[in-house]
Amino acid sequence: MLEFDGLVKAYGDNQVLKGVSFSVAPGQMFGFCGSNGAGKTTTMRIAMGLARADAGEVRWSGRPVDEAVRRRIGYMPEERGLYPKMKVGEQLTYFARLHGMDAAPAARAAEAWAERLGLGERQGDKVEKLSLGNQQRVQLAAALVSEPEVLILDEPFSGLDPVGVDSLAEALLEQARRGVPVVFSSHQLDLVERLCDAVGILARGSIVASGTVPELRSTTAGRQLRVVAPDAPAGWAGAVPGVRVVSEQRGDTVLELAPGTDDQQVLAAALATGRVTHFAWREPTLVELFRDAVTTPEEVAA
Amino acid sequence: MTATAHRDAQTLAPAHPDVTPHSPAQLVRLVAGREVGTRIRDKGFLAGSAFLILLIVGMLVFQVLINSGEDTTRLGVVGGDTTVSDALRSQGEALGTEVEVVEFDDEGAARTAVEDGDVEGALLSPSGVQPELLVESDGGQVETLVQGAVQGLSLSQQLADADVTLQEPPEVEVVALDPDADADFEAIIVALMGVAVLYGLLLLFGQFVAQGVVEEKSSRVVELLLATMRPWQLLAGKIIGLGVLALGQMLVIAVIGVAGALAFDLVALPGDLIGTVLTVLAWFVLGYAFYASLFAAAASLVSRQEDLGSVITPATLLPVVGIVIAIQAAQDPTGTLAVITSYVPGISPMVMPLRQAAGAAAWWEVALAVVLMLVAIAAIVRIGGRVYAGALLRTGGRVKLREALASEK
Repeated sequence: MLEFDGLVKAYGDNQVLKGVSFSVAPGQMFGFCGSNGAGKTTTMRIAMGLARADAGEVRWSGRPVDEAVRRRIGYMPEERGLYPKMKVGEQLTYFARLHGMDAAPAARAAEAWAERLGLGERQGDKVEKLSLGNQQRVQLAAALVSEPEVLILDEPFSGLDPVGVDSLAEALLEQARRGVPVVFSSHQLDLVERLCDAVGILARGSIVASGTVPELRSTTAGRQLRVVAPDAPAGWAGAVPGVRVVSEQRGDTVLELAPGTDDQQVLAAALATGRVTHFAWREPTLVELFRDAVTTPEEVAA
Repeated sequence: MTATAHRDAQTLAPAHPDVTPHSPAQLVRLVAGREVGTRIRDKGFLAGSAFLILLIVGMLVFQVLINSGEDTTRLGVVGGDTTVSDALRSQGEALGTEVEVVEFDDEGAARTAVEDGDVEGALLSPSGVQPELLVESDGGQVETLVQGAVQGLSLSQQLADADVTLQEPPEVEVVALDPDADADFEAIIVALMGVAVLYGLLLLFGQFVAQGVVEEKSSRVVELLLATMRPWQLLAGKIIGLGVLALGQMLVIAVIGVAGALAFDLVALPGDLIGTVLTVLAWFVLGYAFYASLFAAAASLVSRQEDLGSVITPATLLPVVGIVIAIQAAQDPTGTLAVITSYVPGISPMVMPLRQAAGAAAWWEVALAVVLMLVAIAAIVRIGGRVYAGALLRTGGRVKLREALASEK
């Protein structure tokens, strides 16, 4: 289990993290979402020892993450970083060695990963000569080359074309299948929804929602019901107890029901106005969940 | 927490069989190895090194040429005898040139030889009433030489004719007040050349360290590096790696210089030469440790190569002051300025070797200067290391010194 436990961090008066806690199981793909400046990068940097938490700690297999553990973590920083004048193959070998591999296995691993990520031809090229997409691949290869036990990736998909996204996603899923917990941050929520077993949404310095996407859907405060009753007068639903009208437009209404409210009562009220052409629960997308979680002032219990 | 694993987390990822944890020393060695490896294949570095070696070889060849062109004067004589030749030779000795006398049968042959430059001058009828000196255009030293010899000859001839016997003139006894002065002078020249190379390489490799630090900051690769090691390990690896190269280059220059000087017989006392060179090498190691740490800490404050100058320049001033004082100290190794500055850390590597070469520094003075330098290095490594660690992960503008010292990470 990779556990982030009560991380607190302030830069001067700016309280960036106010107790961030979540955990990622081995083999789990964890999507880390949050608005810009919410503290995702700070959280990951604390895990990598690049920033010091004022309180709280990060644990791997029950043990606080220290330098020895960190060498077993593959990391991709938000700001990409490679030696621009070093050749791809040498660079990967160097990072593999820094993570504890001996010279010969490191060289083999570097070659294998370069091959696997489609950089086989470019191993002798300097990094600065590569396209941005290929540099991104080298960056990923640098994170994966030492066969890490944990992956922490900050915005790994940003700047990739759709084909690049697919091959990166495939590489990450493969690592998860190997039993590696993968944490990555992303603004591409559709991608997170598609790839991740679990999602954590960070807002205002703490995790406001976390769990699997279905779990998030069910725990969202109130559920939304769309009812289309063309002949209904405006405000027809307002009278039903436990119902809040989210939007209403020429008989097309979106309602939010307080927990314990009987949806059949709503249907009865709708039928009382005349024809009902549509009556269904809306499945909120992750984007809506995100917007909801990030904008609600009160925290959603997770 | 409700984050649950969807996928069956059957097994933990097994630790890779090829992976063994590193000791700090191994990490430092890896970093140092990368520095040496990339620098040694850098075309600019190779070209610079080749240029430096050529320069040294060129200086040696120049010295040899100057020394070998030295003074023999070929003089032609027509109608002379051994007395004339002896007189010319001893006069030449007095003027500091070796005279080679060539006999010609007649004036015509002598004239041709002068015109061809075969001899520098030809003396006709030296013992006659009107001796004549043939030169190509201008008598110069040859004229003085021949004039003196002819006068001497004529004088002794006249004395002999007048039957005067002279007593042997007294020999002047020479008392040397400072018999080592010449050797000291030679050692000072060697030390000054050594200090000039030391100064050049200190600045060059200090610059390499600074550029390396900024390269890692500006390319952000430092984040990946610091996820696997501590700032001091990265700093130590960088300084040691480049230091090995710098010392190697210094050694190559020293070996070529010493070997050349010995082979071409340019120095009087080879033992002194080697001693001076070893002193300069030792001071180079101290100076490098001092400036490399200083430059690294200064460079860590900025994130772009363009900003490097603004933080490096103040640190560069110290060695510049040092070399200026060193040049002055070469002329006056016992002067107050030289004595005082030979203890100042950062300047001592350039001034103390000169005082040592001049034989003007007692052993305890050298020891004191070394201790002061070591204390300064320890302080710079400590404070500079903190600045480096504090500033390394702050990118963007220029980090203030105080901020860097205040933040641990």
